[in-house]
Amino acid sequence: MNKVMYLEFERCIGCRACQAACRECGDHDGKERNYVEYVDFMESRQTYPMMCMQCTDPACARVCPANAIQITEEGVVLSAMEEKCIGCRNCTFGCPFGIPKFDFEENKMYKCDMCYDRTQHDISPMCASVCPSDAIRFIDFEEMQELRRRRTQLNLVEGKKPTEQDKWQYVPEFFGVYSD
Amino acid sequence: MSEFIVKKDVKNLHHEGEKLISTHCCYCGMQCGMHIRVNEKTGAIAGVEPRYDWPVTLGKMCPKGVTAYQTIDHEERITKPLIKKDGQFVEASWEEALDLIEKNYKRLQADYGKDALSVFGGVSMTNEKCYLVGKYARVGLGTRFVDYNGRFCMSSAAGGFMKTLGTDRGSTLPWPELEHTDCFFMSGTNTAECHPTTIQWLWKARDKGAKMIVADPRETPTARIADVHLDLKAGTDSALANGMMHLLIREGYVDHEYVSERCNNYEDLKKSVEPFTPAYTAEITGVSEEKILKAAHIYGQSPRSVVMFARGVEQQAKGVDNVTLYTSMALLRGQIGKFAAGVATFTGQGNGQGGREHGQKSDALPGYRKIDNPEHVKYVSSVWGIEPEEMPKAGVSAYEMFDEIQRGNIRSMHVICSNPAVSAPNNEYIWDGFNKLDFMVVSDFFLSETAEFADVVLPVTSWAEDEGTTTNLEGRVIRIRKVKDPIGESQPDWEIINRITERMGKKEHFGYENVQQIFDEFRLATKGGKADYYGITYDRIDNEEGVFWPCPSEDHPGTPTMFKEKFDTPDGKANLPSVPWHEPDEVPTDEYPVTLTTGRVVFHYLSGTQTRRISFLNEKCPEPFVEMHPEMASQYNLSDGDEVKLTTKRSSMKLDVKLTKAIRSDHVFVPYHWGKELSVNLLTNPALDPTSRMPEFKVCAVKIEKV
Repeated sequence: MNKVMYLEFERCIGCRACQAACRECGDHDGKERNYVEYVDFMESRQTYPMMCMQCTDPACARVCPANAIQITEEGVVLSAMEEKCIGCRNCTFGCPFGIPKFDFEENKMYKCDMCYDRTQHDISPMCASVCPSDAIRFIDFEEMQELRRRRTQLNLVEGKKPTEQDKWQYVPEFFGVYSD
Repeated sequence: MSEFIVKKDVKNLHHEGEKLISTHCCYCGMQCGMHIRVNEKTGAIAGVEPRYDWPVTLGKMCPKGVTAYQTIDHEERITKPLIKKDGQFVEASWEEALDLIEKNYKRLQADYGKDALSVFGGVSMTNEKCYLVGKYARVGLGTRFVDYNGRFCMSSAAGGFMKTLGTDRGSTLPWPELEHTDCFFMSGTNTAECHPTTIQWLWKARDKGAKMIVADPRETPTARIADVHLDLKAGTDSALANGMMHLLIREGYVDHEYVSERCNNYEDLKKSVEPFTPAYTAEITGVSEEKILKAAHIYGQSPRSVVMFARGVEQQAKGVDNVTLYTSMALLRGQIGKFAAGVATFTGQGNGQGGREHGQKSDALPGYRKIDNPEHVKYVSSVWGIEPEEMPKAGVSAYEMFDEIQRGNIRSMHVICSNPAVSAPNNEYIWDGFNKLDFMVVSDFFLSETAEFADVVLPVTSWAEDEGTTTNLEGRVIRIRKVKDPIGESQPDWEIINRITERMGKKEHFGYENVQQIFDEFRLATKGGKADYYGITYDRIDNEEGVFWPCPSEDHPGTPTMFKEKFDTPDGKANLPSVPWHEPDEVPTDEYPVTLTTGRVVFHYLSGTQTRRISFLNEKCPEPFVEMHPEMASQYNLSDGDEVKLTTKRSSMKLDVKLTKAIRSDHVFVPYHWGKELSVNLLTNPALDPTSRMPEFKVCAVKIEKV
């Protein structure tokens, strides 16, 4: 899987379709694993999506005393295996992005698995599939690099700058998340 | 033809033991493509799968779309007819319910005449059903009183387009062309929340350098990304549009060749926009002169532009004027009828476009024919198998039907696919009207606030339990597929109409056996009209990814781009308007010093009858709030989350304050998707547009008190 989850925060319209869609993924038990938050609603309606970065050397897996968090050969960091998870919540404290969720009733952790049932067949995850503004995309690594170059290029061509407002100051312009 | 439509090489996830059925969302005019997952053995709905190859939406869905399937088997569905006995609903058989309807309808018509009955329709249903509502009222019941909830939604756009361009098709261009547009001038449309899947097209264009100008009193998620946000006061659109045209003329941005060849009244328009200098426009609208100038230059210099608007400009007592003015901005720039350019309104309801063309409106007949035109009446009568003299005269608009109830002229109402107890302005007047009725019938699949007033509630199928066509916001006729059999004893609206009209002795005019039969009659009824569907067939829709009307014959390709050669007016030329500045019906006073505007949130649809029952959507937005600038809040000593009482001349309500700087400091905003004491339409002003009879939901004067 040479694909990348590509997030462009500025495009997020706060509709939370990605969260509704996350619940729809066959393996997700009807619970969403991603986040959409306001940067600061008092100042602006700017929202941003947050999801697992699928780290190459994930802190959540490293701090798991039970070795319950597995990484697939493609590099997808899965939810803790039910039979191994001891419910210690170390992963939720260890993750620098605050991604893993904890089910207090079932006493187990769950997190984004990039819709592994879809992405292993090269089908886009639910969140990226439905995102109405393409704030979340599931694209080839090459396409991502091209998009990043285009941003710079557009800023260089006079009159072709995507926007003249200063609203970007609240969030980074874009954010690439690597899956491999 | 397979039920699952997919292009070669498009991958979808197929779960074992499930099949996919291709259809469209039940909510807004985007009509996003989707596949519904169905268990092959049990026929139960399993979920949703993106329809990546639907050309308008490319698999994208908003949270309403993703969860739409959850309404189908919802536990609160009405599964049996309900009859009110001693103030309580009890389940009844269809025979009992129909007996009661027949008895009361016949009694009321005998005592008070044919027009004692009325029908209040809606446009969140298929073309086939919308078409039947008009026929049901006029032929089945013989009453002139029929109208529909489009009066609260799109009728000003229709009126404005008719006046200016001669025909009302919501968009003059197909949506995928938006990618190639250079400038979007968007007014009174919070696209990001109300038609979210359009945003992808705006960004595709922006990635190539396109500009966005957004006029809205709030810095909505749409306005947030605009190059220029024109933060106008609610109700000042006509001044803004006049001011923009003043600058287009002054700065030499008018396409004179186009205007002289294709438009009437240019000199009059020039004279009428003369006073609207940037200073005068700024004074009325509250937008700074710099922003007005900047917007005019960006818009004027763009080779290909689209003017887009929605309820913000339409739901005003001057809605039609606003539409004619904004449309004229596109005409002065010579944009209508060309590639990636034109004018478009964002249709609010799923079939707002198709539903307003085919005779649910009090003065309209199928195919955009008019009931005051003897030729039109003659043609439609011949299709319906009645004598032209039998055709009832024009009725009155939706809100005015409630005046007729107060006068005792309307004694009974059948509400189909609508919830005016929430969506009509001045709610208390509406509720009082329902209470005054001798007999009230509601067809719905949830017990809406309106249904609670009824004497009989008839359980209807949801959108996924019947088939048919809708017309999306582009004017593209598309196909809704039946996904499963109806729940309980619910029946499609057309079957209910069959059964009531049979009781009323009109079986020979109805008695439909299937939807195809209605569609074929409907095509014939539209033949030769402005909205001509005659050449559209179910197979063509499947093969051609929808067909754009007008499409007068089966070998006609349909009309993706409107008005390429000429407009639909008698002389083929567009009519430019001359509109002086008028204030909104209500302006702030000492007693009511603040402007209240209403609208939607992304999580709910219309009166919320469906979306409030979906757990995800309700979790995200469980109740209304009043959005307020912190500058205003400090004048009333209010903090975030405090409770306030809002009072207008109509009524008052209590709400929690939500503070944000993303709104004008002299306006407050309340979303309208809730009923009873949480309905902001308790407060809204029923002042009607003189042409479209649309109420002024978007502007009223309000008093704020800390509770």
